[in-house]
Amino acid sequence: MNRIQSVIGFAALCLGAVLLSVPVSAEEKPFRPIAGQFPPLEKAHAYRGELVFVDHTNRRGSLRIQSEGTYFRNAPHPFAMLPYGVIRYHGAPAGLRDIPIGTVLHARGFLPPDPKLSSVPVLPVNNRNKTAGYSGKGIAPAENHLILLEDEPSFCQREGKVWKLQEVELQNFAGKIVARREPKIGGTKAEEETLTFDAATRIWRGREKLEVADLIADGIWPASGKKALKNQAVLLGITWKPTPSNIFTRFHISDIWLDEVAMQRAARNQTETHKAFIRTRWMPGWIDTVEYGKFGTATITATLFGGMDESLYADFKKGAHAQMNAVESNLKHTHGAYSPAHMASKGPILEVTKIIGEIPLGSSGIQIDFKTDLIIEGIRPGRNIRVRPSHWPNVNIPREEYLGGNKPEERFPTPAIFPKY
Amino acid sequence: MKHTLPLLAALLAPLTPLFAEGAPFRPEPGKFPPLEKAHSYRGELTFVDHTNRRGSIRIQGNGKFRFTGPSPFAMLPYGMVRYHGAPADLRDIPLGTVMYVHAFLPPDPKISSVPVLPIDNRLKKLGNTGIGTAPAENHVLLLEDETSHCRRHGLVWKLKQVTLNDHAGFITARRELKAGGGQAHEETLTFDAATRFWRGRERLDVQDLIAEKIWPANGKKSLENQTVLLGIIWKPTPGGVFMRFHVSDVWLNDAAMERAAQNQTETHKAFIKSRWMPGWVDAVEYGKFGNATVTATLFGGMDASLYADFKKGQKAMLASAENTLKHWASGTAGTSQMASKGILANITKAKGNVPFGSSGTQISLKTDLVTEGFRPGRIVRIHPNSWPIVEVPRDEYLHDARTTHEDRFPTPDIFPKY
Repeated sequence: MNRIQSVIGFAALCLGAVLLSVPVSAEEKPFRPIAGQFPPLEKAHAYRGELVFVDHTNRRGSLRIQSEGTYFRNAPHPFAMLPYGVIRYHGAPAGLRDIPIGTVLHARGFLPPDPKLSSVPVLPVNNRNKTAGYSGKGIAPAENHLILLEDEPSFCQREGKVWKLQEVELQNFAGKIVARREPKIGGTKAEEETLTFDAATRIWRGREKLEVADLIADGIWPASGKKALKNQAVLLGITWKPTPSNIFTRFHISDIWLDEVAMQRAARNQTETHKAFIRTRWMPGWIDTVEYGKFGTATITATLFGGMDESLYADFKKGAHAQMNAVESNLKHTHGAYSPAHMASKGPILEVTKIIGEIPLGSSGIQIDFKTDLIIEGIRPGRNIRVRPSHWPNVNIPREEYLGGNKPEERFPTPAIFPKY
Repeated sequence: MKHTLPLLAALLAPLTPLFAEGAPFRPEPGKFPPLEKAHSYRGELTFVDHTNRRGSIRIQGNGKFRFTGPSPFAMLPYGMVRYHGAPADLRDIPLGTVMYVHAFLPPDPKISSVPVLPIDNRLKKLGNTGIGTAPAENHVLLLEDETSHCRRHGLVWKLKQVTLNDHAGFITARRELKAGGGQAHEETLTFDAATRFWRGRERLDVQDLIAEKIWPANGKKSLENQTVLLGIIWKPTPGGVFMRFHVSDVWLNDAAMERAAQNQTETHKAFIKSRWMPGWVDAVEYGKFGNATVTATLFGGMDASLYADFKKGQKAMLASAENTLKHWASGTAGTSQMASKGILANITKAKGNVPFGSSGTQISLKTDLVTEGFRPGRIVRIHPNSWPIVEVPRDEYLHDARTTHEDRFPTPDIFPKY
């Protein structure tokens, strides 16, 4: 009898274990991105959280992910950008270095394409369904290789949403705003959310950068008490700060863009920052095919990665001279201190082709054919490269952004830098 | 023999500047080290581990800047960070910002959270990077950006000429005393379409200056000593130029700079109110049954309104912290639940010169339950009753049941070796 009970007990345990992992296995075999193919965005796992650590030269960091539990207890969760992963800040292309620590970001992540080479911890496939004490479920998903990382205004602009302000309540230059994130035009009424703000919240109006004190001085907000804001449509920058009164998850407003001009000016500034960055670090992409000729010559077809300003892609012109260098998954240049331009394969761009139809996220939809008389190691199908049209400035990049040798730890950074909580 | 002495003298010569002042100076627990004994340098912030109050800086030496590997630094517990002329935390400073540093040798090399280097490292030539790019003085008393540095020293930038083409170009300028006088040399800096110009409430860019005909669309213009403050970063420079800084921000008038400082001050005030005021214990007078009177000095560099919140007779909480200023917590019990509670029995303000790192304000807290960690020289955080009670995030406290030796004393392993 005891044996039967044990067997039933064991069976129940197994069933429980199976049920716990159902949400992942129900979606068939766990999906992993494959080299040479941009994974479909709809297969990504979506979450959001506060940026708490950045290792920008290795394109990785940590997010404190929002879940159903007590937010402050959630340990930072490491993530790595996929080589073609897109970062957006203020509605414009960005690098991790551009995003202030504390910014709440929306992430779309996949399982590590190759767990052996992951620069962040590899977690059990069903980790997103696990409950971690008071933190609740979903604070450490295994889908930590990101195809998209974007801040609140980028997310809202991509989805055609705005924040509609309902009411402000303030005292001593700080307080709460009740608002709803809704489609800009029409759509269903969203749930109300309460967010905090304080005297450091930046309020952008056209060219102006204002503070709560300015809005009070201008008679727009009262010095204290409540005011109805009548669905005022704005965009918000969101961070997180610890909240008093035992409220465990309430987000904080870092910025309010009161009008479209203000938001466009912020986007323009970020776009210019990123354009200068890409022109000095070169356009990333991957190799589609290599057709080898004689004595080191080759014709290389490469797809440029997406998410950059259009003007950068327009710089790739048929007949123009270019340079191509092999890079790692973190987009670091290889070949050491001689500088990328010194070591790169050189030659003309034979053709620039724009793919017709739907372009997957991560790709620019632009392919270049590049002919060189001296092909270097690392330019192989599926591998990552960086390309520079010759009229971009020829500069030397800083030490931490290139590989100094062939040390495996430098090529494939390990997750050892991330603390365990 | 006659050849040996000159050889010996030549070998020892590089060490002379260090040892001429006697034994190498290290800060001691319970004493704020004099700023004039610090080694100073400047460089670009390239990495931040803000919860452990450490990071890396690419230090300007006499060689080629781009070869210079980031040099790790740790803030001393009483080390001050300033940004836009206001108190700041490391998390507030954008990567790429050029910072001025005043630093010391590790007070206790055994528990240094950054690599411990040979004492004479600042005199060593490190390949193409030159001399001074990895000093052993990597425990920082003061870390400040260009605007903070200028305002502390009464300096401004006087703009001479701008050369621009396609919304980018060069500015030649001199950093001088606001009141005139002193030595200055002309410097060339780059700017681009992402450079921000601040004028009163306005944030402008190069395009706006061109549209307003303040700057020409192309070519040169004399700027006739226009007085501004600059935010400085570094970007790789074309034309084989190895060492040229880049202008990230230009504050065109005092009102604009005051507004930036005000914003940063408010950011930091909210931060300190939620993380508590750091300080160290000067003395503990034990009573009976867990009673004690703890006297502590509050660390310096915060907004004056924060110190004004410590009032005699008011309730307060005192919690032990680590050199990283991390709190302790336990399971469901947050920092305030773990802290000693009591009454501020006395507040004294030091007269005369207050050393850097100190606020000059000493408080005495009388508690009926003194907790572990309140020992002379040890770090604490203090919360006056009027500040909000909140829970700090997981990466900013040590969990008493799970914390390892490495959590309390982070090792330098996180920093790559170049």
